[in-house]
Amino acid sequence: MGQITLNGITKSYGAVAVLKGIDLTVGEGELVVFVGPSGCGKSTLLRMIAGLDQPTAGRIVIDGKDVTAQSAADRGLAMVFQSYALYPHMTVRQNMAFGLQNTRMPRAEIDARIADAARLLEIEPLLARRPGQLSGGQRQRVAIGRAIVRRPTAFLLDEPLSNLDAELRVSMRAELSALHDRLGATMIHVTHDQVEAMTMADRIVVLRAGRVEQVDTPLNLYNRPANLFVAGFIGAPGMNLWGATSLGQGRLRLESGREMALTGVPLPDGGPVTIGLRPQHLRQVDPGAPDSIPANVTLIEALGAESVVHATLDDGGRLLAVLPGQPRLQKGDPIAFGFDPADLHLFGPDGTRLTGV
Amino acid sequence: MSAVTFITRRRGGRGWHWTDVVTFAWLGAGLIVIFGPALWLILSSFKSPAQLSEFPPSALPYETRTAVVEGYDNPLPLFIVTDEAGTRILAEVRRVGTVAQMVDPINPAEVQRINIADRVPDRSVGFAVSNYAEPFLDFDFMLYLRNSVFVTVMATIITLLTNSMAAFALSKYQFRGRNGVMLLVLATLMIPLSVILVPLYSIISSVGLLNSLWGVILPTVATPTGVFLLRQYMLTIPDELLEAARMDHASEWQIYWRIVLPLTAPALAVLGIFSVVWRWNDFLWPLIVLSRKEVYTLQVGLNQYAGELNVQWHYILAMTVVTMIPVVIVFVFLQRFITTGIAGTGLK
Repeated sequence: MGQITLNGITKSYGAVAVLKGIDLTVGEGELVVFVGPSGCGKSTLLRMIAGLDQPTAGRIVIDGKDVTAQSAADRGLAMVFQSYALYPHMTVRQNMAFGLQNTRMPRAEIDARIADAARLLEIEPLLARRPGQLSGGQRQRVAIGRAIVRRPTAFLLDEPLSNLDAELRVSMRAELSALHDRLGATMIHVTHDQVEAMTMADRIVVLRAGRVEQVDTPLNLYNRPANLFVAGFIGAPGMNLWGATSLGQGRLRLESGREMALTGVPLPDGGPVTIGLRPQHLRQVDPGAPDSIPANVTLIEALGAESVVHATLDDGGRLLAVLPGQPRLQKGDPIAFGFDPADLHLFGPDGTRLTGV
Repeated sequence: MSAVTFITRRRGGRGWHWTDVVTFAWLGAGLIVIFGPALWLILSSFKSPAQLSEFPPSALPYETRTAVVEGYDNPLPLFIVTDEAGTRILAEVRRVGTVAQMVDPINPAEVQRINIADRVPDRSVGFAVSNYAEPFLDFDFMLYLRNSVFVTVMATIITLLTNSMAAFALSKYQFRGRNGVMLLVLATLMIPLSVILVPLYSIISSVGLLNSLWGVILPTVATPTGVFLLRQYMLTIPDELLEAARMDHASEWQIYWRIVLPLTAPALAVLGIFSVVWRWNDFLWPLIVLSRKEVYTLQVGLNQYAGELNVQWHYILAMTVVTMIPVVIVFVFLQRFITTGIAGTGLK
């Protein structure tokens, strides 16, 4: 129970196409995270799965049944809204019971389910309160509780953590993951926070401008981004991306004119490429070392355990590096970086990853 | 905080800033303008008919003292007379022109002729309670009250129900022509009752609602003000709440009845107050629809005191005070709800 398949989903508001053909299968019991910049259509997609919006074209199939024309209530899904959308005039108990009462469930069953959910989420002392008397984290739990009591085939969570403060977000993130393990239910989680996506997801769906850019496990996305967008979007700080020209025979010319020999990297024979290097994969080397990248420090963000070094290359390009510890560097210092060619990402002129790297 | 320190509070605490003066002057003027007429009405309702026609009028109601004088059947009014013979209290027997024939209550045999400029009524503050008591006995007050209450309560319930349904549709559903409909509703604000009085009368007459309280109630329940007020309030209820309810298997009716309506309570209270005041004070329309005494509302009933030749102001004033009471009570009870907005507390 809980497999969701999307076939060629498109959505247009007048002439504006918001979703441009989404094909996706969410497996049973999987926690899938939709991630992407704001306006990429991830919330719209979720609302479409929920049944709150109708797709312009395409089919939504849940457990082998086409539900595209079904109403939201009949799809057997539960949704946690970004604003939680708790009914302000009802107590927590009434909030959780409302959906069950509407299906004419016996009272005893409703009480049992609420008791179960309340125990699971540790909100038993709050059942008689109204949402206005709860803190943000408590409201969040109640909203999840309201979804749990329905025993849905899948949970849809629309940026559920975005209204919490940073500390609470971290703990709720862990709780949500734990809840997913315990319930074993399919969950689709929408977020714009890539840390949330990386830490929680079984698989991440990266969306941009109404298209799926890549669907993969968090580490595969990080290690093998399929294109420039995913490369830049996943990982913090963002990947360094530089334009370069392949000269063939494993040689590369950067925009600054500096030439580099790359061994063990299948460069195309000529043509423009983009090389990408994660800031964490750069290390400080002696100036003048072969194939090193010289730069000038412009800013140091010392985080204690590591330092984020902002630097400019000699062609004016920017570079970000994460160095371990607290290196003795000052603004304006010349610095040189080395890297392992195996960590290099190569993208073709169309922005897609060059295979074999 | 005692009342004195409360009403003499000043900005910053020490000394009188000019804004303090302006504030107190403004509020004082407001108090006089708004509360003055009501107070004047209440005081005047206790005056006797003679005193009401007096000029210049007095603020407080007075009663002229009377004395039973031997040889006269009715009690005679007493006057304080001041002339060459000194100051004394005399009772008036009759008055002819500027001369009054008066007697001393102790020595009623001798009739004195006194110029009315030389005397003032001997009176003290007194309330003519009979202004209130007599209408209750002679006038069908209880019947009219019952009719008025029925009209007000039914009209208010129906107004709240129908207006909130219209507002719900106009605020929470997207459909072609929604704004056009809203505009049409608002446009009816520009049509005064007097314009549609005749067609409305013929409709009510042809459906047989003349001389029926429903004929008073039904034409008044659809108010553009109410629809607009409730719609604007409902627009502030987040759509996510409705979507959550939809996911919770709620029908559209349940969404309206169990989610939207409770959250609109503050606006409903405001409209409730308005509706009660409007319907209670309605005069023209009930006057036209109702022509039998048994179905009169209070306001129409009161009109009986205003005859063609003689207006019984003392009864009108007293009964006006009585009819004001329910409106005041409603306001006192419902105004608390106006300030308690509860929508939105479930979000963020």
